[in-house]
Amino acid sequence: MTEVLASRSYRGLAAEDAIESVHNDLDSLWLDVPFVGDMDQMTFTTAVIESASNIVQHAEPAGQDPVELGVDIEVRPTVLQARVSAYHAKPPFGPMEPGAPGEDAESGRGLALIEALVTTVTFERQDGTNTWVLSRTSSRD
Amino acid sequence: MEFSYEVKDSYAEVKADGRLNMVSAPKLREFVTDVIAGGSNRIVVNLENTAFMDSSGLGALIGCLKAARQAGGDLRIAAVQPQVKMVLQLTSMDKVLTAYASAAEAFSND
Repeated sequence: MTEVLASRSYRGLAAEDAIESVHNDLDSLWLDVPFVGDMDQMTFTTAVIESASNIVQHAEPAGQDPVELGVDIEVRPTVLQARVSAYHAKPPFGPMEPGAPGEDAESGRGLALIEALVTTVTFERQDGTNTWVLSRTSSRD
Repeated sequence: MEFSYEVKDSYAEVKADGRLNMVSAPKLREFVTDVIAGGSNRIVVNLENTAFMDSSGLGALIGCLKAARQAGGDLRIAAVQPQVKMVLQLTSMDKVLTAYASAAEAFSND
């Protein structure tokens, strides 16, 4: 593994204000690593916010504990990686496949957008936690 | 995110400043619905100061477009910034939501 140049971690209740906090974390992260290009910053930020929003909107608690959102982001010399987790959550309902909504549909584009924005996206479920792992190969010169 | 609007000669200009995400998307939809209910069915959403939009924000714009058309008008977007342009292109919605360089140009040929 190559060295981690900068990182941010967030954990809190999966609620609307978590999205703004994660976005602020990302904005401050990019200030630490100005060599990451604008396009990489833009695409990766969008993918992380899409994933976190998906959890806030759709994750359901598995038991009595409320769902918590966790976002761990690492910048390495050539890779941006985020682990976006739903703690205390049921397994995702329905297919984890991107939809193909009609042009007048008002939802259903998130998964396809995430896949278009990052190099790889994988999903893990372990110990009651759903985790999306997003990686984007950085185009650092 | 902050919303404002101004009624011009042939359209109403709505400004949405900040991040258009899952938090603000329902508020944009409500704001534009109120503008339409107030008698304006030709809407330009000025995105000059919209630094970020996700799929929730895009969904809200599509909902607003449908509302404007149902009222016999249309909705157009203007001054799109790079991140918003990227989301529109990756979802192929740039063909549905036509982007104009400025709010004044959006209905200038109608």
